[in-house]
Amino acid sequence: MRRSIVITGIGLVTPLGSEVPTLWRRIEAGDSAATPPAHFDAAPFACRVCAEIRGFEPGSYVPEGKLVRLMNREAQLAVAAAHRALEDAGLKRERPYRPEDIGLFGATGLAGLPLAEVAPLIQASARADGRFDPNRFATEGLRAVRPILSFKVLSNMPLCFVSICENLQGPNAVYTPWEGQGAQAIEAAVQALECGEVRSALAGGCDVKTHELAFLALQQQGAFASWRERGAGPTPGEGAAFLILEDEGAAKARGARVHARLSGFSLATRPRESGSKETYARILEAMGLRGQSLTAVVAAGNGDPAVEQAENEALAMLQVRVPMVVQPKKHMGDLFAAAGPAQVGLAAALAARRGGCVLANCFGHGSEQAAFLLEPP
Amino acid sequence: MNQCVVITGLGVCTPLGHTVPDFWRRLLDGCSGIGPVTLFDASALRVRIGGEVQGFDPAALLTEYPESAPEKDRKVGLGLDAAHRALVDSGLPLEALREALLFVGVSLETFLISDATSAAHAGDLSSALVALALARGGPSPLQTPLDRLTQLLGDHYGFQHGRYTNCSACAAGAQVVGEAFRRLRAGRANVALAGATDSPLNPLALGGFSLLRILSEENDRPGRACRPFDATRQGTVLAEGAAFMVLETREHARRRGARVCGEIIGYGSSLDAYRVTDPEPDGRGAVSSMTRAILDAGVTPAAVDCVNAHGTGTPKNDVVETRAIKQVLGDRAGGIPVTANKSMTGHMIATSGALEAVASVLTLYTGKVPPTINRNCPDPECDLDYVAEGCRDFAGRTVLSNSFGFGGQNASLLFRRFEP
Repeated sequence: MRRSIVITGIGLVTPLGSEVPTLWRRIEAGDSAATPPAHFDAAPFACRVCAEIRGFEPGSYVPEGKLVRLMNREAQLAVAAAHRALEDAGLKRERPYRPEDIGLFGATGLAGLPLAEVAPLIQASARADGRFDPNRFATEGLRAVRPILSFKVLSNMPLCFVSICENLQGPNAVYTPWEGQGAQAIEAAVQALECGEVRSALAGGCDVKTHELAFLALQQQGAFASWRERGAGPTPGEGAAFLILEDEGAAKARGARVHARLSGFSLATRPRESGSKETYARILEAMGLRGQSLTAVVAAGNGDPAVEQAENEALAMLQVRVPMVVQPKKHMGDLFAAAGPAQVGLAAALAARRGGCVLANCFGHGSEQAAFLLEPP
Repeated sequence: MNQCVVITGLGVCTPLGHTVPDFWRRLLDGCSGIGPVTLFDASALRVRIGGEVQGFDPAALLTEYPESAPEKDRKVGLGLDAAHRALVDSGLPLEALREALLFVGVSLETFLISDATSAAHAGDLSSALVALALARGGPSPLQTPLDRLTQLLGDHYGFQHGRYTNCSACAAGAQVVGEAFRRLRAGRANVALAGATDSPLNPLALGGFSLLRILSEENDRPGRACRPFDATRQGTVLAEGAAFMVLETREHARRRGARVCGEIIGYGSSLDAYRVTDPEPDGRGAVSSMTRAILDAGVTPAAVDCVNAHGTGTPKNDVVETRAIKQVLGDRAGGIPVTANKSMTGHMIATSGALEAVASVLTLYTGKVPPTINRNCPDPECDLDYVAEGCRDFAGRTVLSNSFGFGGQNASLLFRRFEP
């Protein structure tokens, strides 16, 4: 890394809570957010549990109440987590940076149609025999949905709502759909800071995998294979995670509280024909971790025994010594597109609390894998 | 040290043609790719026109991509076709792709409503849809994942250095080119394949966008329906297509003796932070993305010789973009050509930024600026030189390409004529 980049804000909204200390306490106490889905019967799926956020009120994070009605749940969670990150970094109280000097880089999950909104359209567009009727679709069907539907389906909307609610006008990008893309968002933020394009960047992700069509997509994408084959696997969750990244000198100059310094990271593609262990080892090797001692690893283990084994073998292969291994996904669910920023945020908080180097592994579904190294400032 | 980045391969699959020479010839000739929608029965819709890729046969892809056989999402096939053409055009040895970056821009997941209506009369629609999809089995779900093309290309060519799926709506196609450029410039790789694909000509996308009242409803004269910067413009026209380019560091291209079509020298992006439905009226975000691209290139606004505009033909965009160009380029704004390719191609959502990047490179490579067609009644608020009279010879050295997306994401790219 060409510049020293630090994390000054962490905003999390997860099924186990939104306050970082509370979240850590519940993870360390072994709490789990996994329950059967509240709104559908998961019997047709290989996985029958999920991690839902209960009692979430988006209204307190959105400046105009009417905006809430335009947002899908992913966007509402994203706005809440971004707000919390900015507040945590002190960027809500002070305004040290111009809106155009703050970048916004994020990942969103498989958007999925808001089924409650399109159900009337589907029903109104069917003939008695269930075949699609283009005339009925064009008349009764489209009359049954709100004009804003297209904006709820566009995958970039959660980040656009963040920009609107928080008046962020800087460089940006939105990636999709898995954990690796959340890591790519952090990489993009680092790149924007390194080339001096922004003075601060909000990087994160949001995802909602707790509804029926998300389960369907996960099953069809092979994310539930371990449930079928080994009786255990990832618990689909919902949530959002955002981090404030800044140049260390700029953060110190404005008197910001620094959670952790991002002292290294690596991203790699897991080729279809190659094993996870080799890819994970390649990432850790690229970070120069061979033979190193770390304080802790915020591990990728998500309930799938194969993921855990590959991760452990990669660490052993490189002789990385780690006395403390925590697996947040086993407790708060797998947040997919939000998982990477959540892992890094938790690792930053742990580095601040325990000292030493903390590794955040962002090994998840999809081809793109990453890891980040955090240390106290 | 920053690397110079050049473009060595172009591939398109558009309503104006499947090959770069066909596309370019028709664009220069001022041909419209807009016609009645034939991909499905749109006869009862308020909007019944669009830019379809004619004669596209997904089965023809099976020779090159046998793994695409079960694909029913048109945008995936269009993207495979354009990406393949770009790679062939570059002459790049395929083994080089192992260490290359892959960037793909997309917008909407495709949801084929005709797949879903058989569950419409079930008591619990959601459960019935799930049962239907699970019973059908196979790799083709109700919704094609947005990263489907990325993974098909990534696995087929063995991209192992990073695969990125960007979903920044109408800015996605420009952002993927810009992001690839930035990473090559910083030395993260020597080669990148970057482009975008989209196909919103299905009932839900066309019907859904028509509800927003941003589409032209002039179904009886499709070729005239998209009229950027014209006083009588009524909206944009949706279209499908894909466009890809191969980017390389100049040194890598030189070592392998590659033909170079152009150089990319700057990229900027910004957010309107205004409304999801409308551009910020003063063009604040548009000004910022253009200014950032110019600064990123280390030049001044005086170095911009041509603008490939976002130019959608919507009442709001064209006025705001005109104001923004004037603000950025100052007195020079009225003296340089500003062209709007969407007048001929229609608006391909994610793809437009990538296709207009291709057109910008071709402007520099061939020395011709394509026209903005259908501007017969100038809007007094849109008072720049929009090349309305027909294509024009161009001796300039740079083209600035704009893409402004739904939700307020903006991206601008600055290309330069390659001088060995």
